[in-house]
Amino acid sequence: MARKKLGVKISAVLAVSALLVSACSSSSTDDGKGGTVTYLTHAEKFLHLDPQRNYTGQDLAFSVTYLTRSLVSYNTAEGAAGTELVADLATDTGTPSEDLKTWTFTLRDGVTFEDGSPITCAEVAYGVSRSYAADLTDGPAFAEAFLDIEGGAAAYPGPYEATAEQQALFDQAVECSEDGKTITFHLNTPMADFNYTTALLTFSPVPLDEGGNVGEAYDQNIVSSGPYKIDSYTPGKSLNLVRNENWNPDSDDFRKALPDKVVVKFAQDEKGIDEYIINGTGPGKTALSLDGIYPDNLEAVFSSADMENRRLNDYDIYVTYTAINVSKMTCLPIRQAVFYATDREALRALGGGSQFGGDFADGVIKPATLPTDYKAVTGYEDAKPEGNAEKAIELMNQAKTECPDEYKRVTTEGITRDYVDSDVSRQGFAITQEALAKAGIKLEANFIDGGSYYGVILNPETQGDLSAAGWGPDWLNASTVIPPLFIENGGFDVSRAQYDPKYEEFKALVDAAKANPDRASQGEQWAALNQFVMDQMWVLPGLFTKTQYHWGSNLTGVYLWAPYGCPGFNDIGVKK
Amino acid sequence: MGIYILRRSLYALALLFVISLVVFVLFASLPFDPASLTCGKNCTADVIEANRIRLGYDLPLWEQYLKFLQGIVSGREYGHGVAAFSCPAPALGYSFFKQECVTSLLITALPPTIWLALGSVTLWVGTGVLLGIWAARRRGGAPDHIINVLTVFATSMPTFLTGQMALTFLIGKFGLIPPPDYYEPYQDFPKFFMTMLLPWIILALPGLAIYARLTRGFVLETGSEDFVRTARAKGLPEKTILWRHTLRPALSPLTTLAAMDLAFMLGGAVVTEKIFSIPGLGRLTIQSVIEYDLPVIVGTTMLAATFIVVANLIVDILYSVIDPRVRLK
Repeated sequence: MARKKLGVKISAVLAVSALLVSACSSSSTDDGKGGTVTYLTHAEKFLHLDPQRNYTGQDLAFSVTYLTRSLVSYNTAEGAAGTELVADLATDTGTPSEDLKTWTFTLRDGVTFEDGSPITCAEVAYGVSRSYAADLTDGPAFAEAFLDIEGGAAAYPGPYEATAEQQALFDQAVECSEDGKTITFHLNTPMADFNYTTALLTFSPVPLDEGGNVGEAYDQNIVSSGPYKIDSYTPGKSLNLVRNENWNPDSDDFRKALPDKVVVKFAQDEKGIDEYIINGTGPGKTALSLDGIYPDNLEAVFSSADMENRRLNDYDIYVTYTAINVSKMTCLPIRQAVFYATDREALRALGGGSQFGGDFADGVIKPATLPTDYKAVTGYEDAKPEGNAEKAIELMNQAKTECPDEYKRVTTEGITRDYVDSDVSRQGFAITQEALAKAGIKLEANFIDGGSYYGVILNPETQGDLSAAGWGPDWLNASTVIPPLFIENGGFDVSRAQYDPKYEEFKALVDAAKANPDRASQGEQWAALNQFVMDQMWVLPGLFTKTQYHWGSNLTGVYLWAPYGCPGFNDIGVKK
Repeated sequence: MGIYILRRSLYALALLFVISLVVFVLFASLPFDPASLTCGKNCTADVIEANRIRLGYDLPLWEQYLKFLQGIVSGREYGHGVAAFSCPAPALGYSFFKQECVTSLLITALPPTIWLALGSVTLWVGTGVLLGIWAARRRGGAPDHIINVLTVFATSMPTFLTGQMALTFLIGKFGLIPPPDYYEPYQDFPKFFMTMLLPWIILALPGLAIYARLTRGFVLETGSEDFVRTARAKGLPEKTILWRHTLRPALSPLTTLAAMDLAFMLGGAVVTEKIFSIPGLGRLTIQSVIEYDLPVIVGTTMLAATFIVVANLIVDILYSVIDPRVRLK
């Protein structure tokens, strides 16, 4: 899942997926029933509330908590407990077949939409089918990737345009029982953790008539299956949620539905938000900022005794890195020289230093997020935070002999790094350019506007030698990290690892890990593959990033919800 | 007179047509691929191509422009199959970022901007003129000096600074004024008034200062005219001289200026709307620029241009009423 772009807070971070573990500070929780909880954001609206298009960590967490139920969900608890999978619309967390290619879920009794109409497997299947529709952009493509439709996504255009034959292909892959209670997914590959995929809202129900707002229009008019429903939604102004009288608490094991009303105020001035919360003015006492803390205010918030119980600073789900385009940078010693030469300490200082920016990453698997799959990467102990120019020069001398053509290109024409255009990334470029120059590497920058960035770096013809990137797993398994980043057509394979001579060896190891039903040994396989990635230097690891939030003095129950790397909305209530 | 108005109206229409063509070609030639911009994540070459066809960007530029014009007259269809939808005429396009017809976005954003513009223009013209008159009548005295200093101060303080300071201190730190929000006046007038008061004042400050200085200058200049001296020689009271003889000619150019300022303001007050969370045309424009939401940028530009052209047309017509010689030119 993607990380929402926080213009001023995060500059060169691009993230496309999601998950985490870790403890964090929290305020004390009373029962918190009643009142109005207000969320403040500078954004004009939620990127998407349409469940099949929603793929941003915090937006997903918000929707899951208040509006949209899925087959399974995550436990709403602080720390590692928050990453446990729990049954939601389904009676359990799913039953796989022996070969792991078929998964079955049985729906609970008494689950309904906000109009009181029952949710059956037909509505769940319909929801999944919408994720194939080309008109509904931005959502995750896991259904397309895993469902066993002959011909794949090309054979099924989604429910709006499908012919009867095309629809039959989908209906074979997603079977709905006659009593409407059981839904069965037939997969094209064995998957031991497919049930984690179904925690994404891709697998949540949508009424067959989409509440009269078909296609794009559904995004702003979703039909709720959760404890609240939309009273009014005016992008650029506010989203007001009121209690959904047709939500049956007996059918829901974990949603607490504490406040009577939930208000999201959009288009708020970023500095103004902090002032309200810090000083308790305006809506500040019962408000939480969805944008985190304005960078200029971090020191003040974390040094204030008054804010002690209403702030958090913890690891989110993301890893930042620089993807090395192996199709252009084929010489391993040069790739390693770039890594050794980089002044990581100076770059981290730009992002808030160790206190707010995060820890130096040693690969793409984050220990706080994926402890089962993490093992410290070895072999780079001589890398220094401020850069090791001597080692980099040594590697460049090695490259001069081993790959003279590329050496010549790198030292004369130079290499290009893709950046999301921002003041911070321009400063970052200056730091890196100076650091690489010490090893004789000439660096140029390609600053790209945020809206076009993905399109440029995902296109092999327009991508540079290095590209700023970031990633977080979609669920707690490195199967949502290593394959999408390094397998050809994996989704975000901007390192173009398929051009490395060792790619076939790597791919075979990935296939073996994916098919391994034993989670513990699978974790060891992912750790070994993370080491493989770093041995081949397909990425320059950046940071295991942190996030910060603060909230008003009258809110209770705020903590970081590990799976989404944002506040756990379910426990947020108002003090009596 | 009728022919004159018709002729001027046709000129205005032709001008709008040229503006629409220039704006369309300008944005079409920007180095951005609209299909890629709406691609989002999971972006592949196939998805981009599908988007291009869906949005009509696969067509030649002249055909895209023709469809744009057709949309203004007869509306446009978007999407496929049962998910197809239409934007009724006058359709200026569809925003795939905001998932709404551009015309509908403009209609929603227009009232807040109108209220903001009307309030602030009234404030700056009304207060500015009164201060200018006062300063002129007390020429060389303390009020004149004070107003002079204050107007220099007000014109030299940019709106983004005064707005941000007001938000931070008056609302954020001390909570003296309700936080920014927008209410329609007919829904909740007290809340509307309280939340618009600060934006009106902040937006009016620079204009107020300029109008005060202009009015002072015009009043002093007109006051030295022969007909004013004659009025004074006739023994007319000073109040009568000021309100009947001095102000009428002095305020004529200000009226024209105010009309143009109002038209300009109706295009949206970007900074004020952004700081005070007013969902008007200015904020819509800046948001669209940030997102490269080209159909909305074209729509807001066209609307702002229309306001200016229409205001010019009205001023021209009024001039022709005041001075019939204009009609003959």
